Amino acid sequence: MRTWDDLDEFQAFLDDGGMVEADDDMPEEYRHEVFRFIEFHANSELMGGLTERDWIPHSPGLRLKQIFLAKTQDEIGHAHLLYMVAADMGVKTRDEMMNDLLAGETRFHNVFHYRAETWADQIAIAFLVDAAAFASQRAVFAKCTYGPYKRILRRIVGEEGFHMRHGEEMLLKMASGSQVQRDLFQAALERWWWPAVQLFGPDSPPDDPLLKWYIKSERNEVLRHAYVQKYVPLLQGYGFTVPDDGLRQDPDTGEWMMSEIDWAPLKATFSNAGPDSARRLANAVRNHAESAWFRESIGVSA
Amino acid sequence: MTASQIYEVFLKADGKSEFRHVGALGAADNEMALLLARECYCRRAEGEQIWVVRRDDISSADSSETAPNRNKSHRHNDGKLVAEHRRQLREGS
Repeated sequence: MRTWDDLDEFQAFLDDGGMVEADDDMPEEYRHEVFRFIEFHANSELMGGLTERDWIPHSPGLRLKQIFLAKTQDEIGHAHLLYMVAADMGVKTRDEMMNDLLAGETRFHNVFHYRAETWADQIAIAFLVDAAAFASQRAVFAKCTYGPYKRILRRIVGEEGFHMRHGEEMLLKMASGSQVQRDLFQAALERWWWPAVQLFGPDSPPDDPLLKWYIKSERNEVLRHAYVQKYVPLLQGYGFTVPDDGLRQDPDTGEWMMSEIDWAPLKATFSNAGPDSARRLANAVRNHAESAWFRESIGVSA
Repeated sequence: MTASQIYEVFLKADGKSEFRHVGALGAADNEMALLLARECYCRRAEGEQIWVVRRDDISSADSSETAPNRNKSHRHNDGKLVAEHRRQLREGS
């Protein structure tokens, strides 16, 4: 177990490339902020996994059913490992985190507060949302100073890579399909573009402790901008229209510039007041009750 | 109800590679830990063999104990002196 006399000494350790381990006597500020971040990530994986699960019976064909089964298993596996890492920080137990999530007291990613209406929405989620989550997680993995989290992120980022490739393959099939299929995806794109862009969050505050402590390696607005540069031309290349009337390309730099973002929808998800928040949470509560027998049978939790 | 314990997980990829630490998980006993390690860390056959070790059973030493060995130049030899001598011989100076 390592200890640091004060925050300055701890900061110097991090600046020097140091990695914090679970049994280190880390500063309380670091412990709480990193814990909150991992708890949010764990909640998001669980809520994401539950929505993937809902679509397994509706996936067209055996291969896609297998893919969605595997994706669901990946997301739930990520949640399992992240809850373990979070619980190990000694701030809340796993049961407390689960209760807080199900009671609507803690947050999960904005994209899981919207309803997937058609199969094309699932493709938009796999192509756009998984890619945004991948970019943001990869940026955390890059410099992450909390060792147990970094090791889990290595797995998560690797597996999200598979999901993204599945997503683009499914998109390719829709884009080269019938007009009905292309219209279906265009409609889904209009529902999911802004939530995906907002997944990166509003601009990072200048003194964001997560940046200072190298949990985040890049500012939210930088990641968001890079994402737009990549996905606007990709979507256009597949023949779809990005739902932003103000979208324009800078004539000098060639950069894609978006309209001003309306952050109200994102803020609504912070208090679980998104369009589909209530149904999703009720679904998670039901799932938790229905799977209680399994947790009891393996003796880990009530 | 058994309390969950933290296990550290190691995977050995194949043939001559060594076991590598890949992460941790929580489980009630060794059997559950192996099952969860297979489900959480080995879904795409990332390992041919798995070790799980209860973290409480690991003894560790940190840099306060290992640091003194960073400063033992007599246990290394960078070969520079001899290399310089041979270079001068080759160049006939």
